[in-house]
Amino acid sequence: MRRFWFLFMICLFLALGTSMASSSEDKLSFPDHPIDDFDTFVKVYDSRRCAECHAEIYEEWQESFHARSMVSSIKGIANFFSVGVPKEWEKKLNKQEIIKCLDCHLPQIKFASERLAREIAGYMIEAKMAKGAQKQRAISKLKQLNISCYGCHNIKIAGTAPGITGHIDPNVIYTAGEGESEAHETEENPILKRSFFCIQCHGVYIAPDGESTYCNTLSGSYVHNYLGQGGRESCQDCHMKKNNRGHRFPGGHDLEIVKEGLLLQAEAKAFRYGIGKWVPAVNVEAFITNKAGHRTPDG
Amino acid sequence: MVLEVTAKDLDTEKIIYQDQRQYFEIGLDLDGYMRYGAWQIKEIVDLTLQPLKTQHERFFFIMEQGVKKVEVSVNLYYYISGKKGDLIHQKKFVFHYEED
Repeated sequence: MRRFWFLFMICLFLALGTSMASSSEDKLSFPDHPIDDFDTFVKVYDSRRCAECHAEIYEEWQESFHARSMVSSIKGIANFFSVGVPKEWEKKLNKQEIIKCLDCHLPQIKFASERLAREIAGYMIEAKMAKGAQKQRAISKLKQLNISCYGCHNIKIAGTAPGITGHIDPNVIYTAGEGESEAHETEENPILKRSFFCIQCHGVYIAPDGESTYCNTLSGSYVHNYLGQGGRESCQDCHMKKNNRGHRFPGGHDLEIVKEGLLLQAEAKAFRYGIGKWVPAVNVEAFITNKAGHRTPDG
Repeated sequence: MVLEVTAKDLDTEKIIYQDQRQYFEIGLDLDGYMRYGAWQIKEIVDLTLQPLKTQHERFFFIMEQGVKKVEVSVNLYYYISGKKGDLIHQKKFVFHYEED
């Protein structure tokens, strides 16, 4: 009998130990040091890690341009990497230059090693310049890179107000609302509800060395022209909350939201013009109202 | 973005009038040359539609004598890139001119 209890206690101890170990291992964790291997980099920041619990949001995000932030911008980024930096600026293409595009198009570039950043930049250039299998290989690599959940819900949290947000813990998932999860550490951060958060990428980008990049000018138009004229909605109000758009973030590529943002009115009158030599004539008066919170078109 | 007005002679199906207004940004480099590269652009010439504002455009045209029935279209196209324009709003008017 004593032998039975001894074995039972050992089994119980092992079972508890295993259970505790697995729950700790299962919690989402992220490195706070540079990653040098492409496949590891992709795996660590893959949004599919979030999909198990957040399937609906993941599906929405997959439809968004955030999910294809690299492959949708090959031409412009590759031109910067292959012409702008080396030929026009006569500078070496290193991570400091690479992040001038990828800080927004691939926020996790922050955790790529210098070597890996150059490898990724190389795929951009190949995706534009190479032909055949080499081009397809580069595109398939870039398809695995994007603005992932972690890009907004962690890395970019401190992008505009580091003095207020303070230290960003790589293992915390920051959210717009209250909530807890057994899968990861969670912390509410109001910055995700503010236009201020989107502005860090959806406007003129100022790199740490002071270089400005005019990918688009939405934020300046929003702050100075929309808010200044009495506009009161946020980026999130129109591009996420309205019509349950959620994490699809539709913008200029989505005709539904484009139509919604523009109103066309027209009046027309037909008459006879030219005293004595009357000819058919028409006068059209057209009125286009931009209902968006920024200039249209932009970028 | 392009606002286009066309007039079609409904007897001949021919477009007898076409005019347009364009709304866009022009990126300039430090020397005032137009540029496309985001890294080259340091200033813009803003020819876009401004938020919460209504842009008013006026069109006036005459047609040849003898045109009896005309369809006037007011079309608003949105170009996500320089190549592909999508019709996002349209207004149509049909006018009849009595016999001379």
